[in-house]
Amino acid sequence: MKYPFPVGKSDFIQGDEAIARAAILAGCSFYAGYPITPASEIFEAMALYMPLVDGVSIQMEDELASIAAIIGASWAGAKAMTATSGPGFSLMMENLGYAIMTETPIVVVDVQRSGPSTGQPTLAAQGDVMQAIWGTHGDHSLIVLTPATVQEAFDMTIRAFNLAEKYRTPVILLTDAEVGHMRERVNIPNPEDIELVYRKLPANEEEAKYPFGDIHGDLIPPMPIFGKGYRTYVTGLTHDERGRPRTVDAEIHRKLVERIVNKIERNKEDIIDFEIFELDDADVAIVSYGIVARSAIRAVKMLRNEGVKAGLLKLNVVWPFDFEMIEKVAERVHAIYVPEMNLGQLYHLVKEGANGKARVELIPKIGGEVHTPQEIVKAVKRCEKCI
Amino acid sequence: MQIRLAGVGGQGVVLAGVILGEAGAIEGLNVVQTQDYSSASRGGHSTADVIISKEPIYDLIVTKADVLVALAQLGYSTTKGSLKKEGLLIVDTDLVKPDREFIGAPFTRLAEEKTGTALTVNMVALGYLVAKTGIVKKESVEKAIGRRVPKGTEEINLKAFRVGYEEGLR
Repeated sequence: MKYPFPVGKSDFIQGDEAIARAAILAGCSFYAGYPITPASEIFEAMALYMPLVDGVSIQMEDELASIAAIIGASWAGAKAMTATSGPGFSLMMENLGYAIMTETPIVVVDVQRSGPSTGQPTLAAQGDVMQAIWGTHGDHSLIVLTPATVQEAFDMTIRAFNLAEKYRTPVILLTDAEVGHMRERVNIPNPEDIELVYRKLPANEEEAKYPFGDIHGDLIPPMPIFGKGYRTYVTGLTHDERGRPRTVDAEIHRKLVERIVNKIERNKEDIIDFEIFELDDADVAIVSYGIVARSAIRAVKMLRNEGVKAGLLKLNVVWPFDFEMIEKVAERVHAIYVPEMNLGQLYHLVKEGANGKARVELIPKIGGEVHTPQEIVKAVKRCEKCI
Repeated sequence: MQIRLAGVGGQGVVLAGVILGEAGAIEGLNVVQTQDYSSASRGGHSTADVIISKEPIYDLIVTKADVLVALAQLGYSTTKGSLKKEGLLIVDTDLVKPDREFIGAPFTRLAEEKTGTALTVNMVALGYLVAKTGIVKKESVEKAIGRRVPKGTEEINLKAFRVGYEEGLR
């Protein structure tokens, strides 16, 4: 296959552009979207590239329709993606729940801008963390990835597709205006060197009868494809293993929803990804994710130069969340700092994970600018002094 | 090395930053390029930041600029605080009246006189910057210009870049 952009070499591109190119290299053949700053460049790139790779890029009337379209495309066998920002992401919440309930592999990119409402359209924030995890109603789980660099935006987009296909689930790529609009050098691998995952299909007619049944004991049912010869019923109502609505049977509901949650929870080890910097002998830990993690790395170095033994835990996946790992970190340090571009979201998960073993302090910042390393250093030192 | 380019909307400050960044990337250096501009397409402030290094870059925006290029008074006054004390200030000497030591040339006038349009002021200034600092090679910038400017304008932009480069060598 010929790609409409250079492969097997590095390029100097924006985060949004990197996401679009990675999606195509991951096998995405259907994109539906509605333009919104700061995610529009993803749509622009998809509109340009998709026709050249025999894919489809379509502008829908709004974000509700955009996510609905990619859910349909996924059931027709396509790897599918949409991208938006806060206001559009809010509109997608209903059908995000539908994708979870119907176990539809899709990738939703949220290039976070500052909210609430239309807020600061051109400026970055991390205000959608809890929304990405818990924005849709009902008991559920899904996967949320958080890139900090343009290279990570590229790599994690490919991973988002692989995880979506592997676990038959929506995956959120939760990035922000800063990563989306920043240009950096990105290594774009040769397509043959990229490992791709494809959803499990029913092996035969018998398997196809149970599109929502744990017939392989791995909690992930094979997914029949519309138009491939099987009759399948897909509904957001509580359904049995065959997909038929069963809306008043507590046992059927419990089995279905627990399986949907457990297929993520029990595979945490495979899904969760993190990096540590100088954490082994640290007295204070910084837990950070996304764009702020870059400033946090610098802050750790600056703190060490000033005699504070700091270390960093950089989370590349914020859901599922490894509460146990946070507790282990908390046992070894006396304080954990959580710099976030919001008024405290992941902070609450970290605090729960720390389980009282260490003090957990929030370093909040809103208004559109990323924390500078100096600001993190100052906040840590101020607190360390007050003990 | 932190470089900040500042001007007003319409001067092509962001494109100059992208081209400088791309030239660094062509040479295999790590580059982070970000921008800040008002929503007006003409007249508002416009800033492009380029950080180039052999080491991994954690910074996102220029906080202590080694070089500040100011193409308009508004751009200068909003960004002058970010230039290091010993940093290099490059200005359009017709349009910016700095209150500290500087070098420069009348970039806009040169663009008009030598290329027939003030639109190429960004490339003239970029040429001057590259000649004065040597941060990237002339050839890398020329390659980046070929990739990044609108189709059909490669020649005039290259010409403008060379005008600025020659001016910087004088």
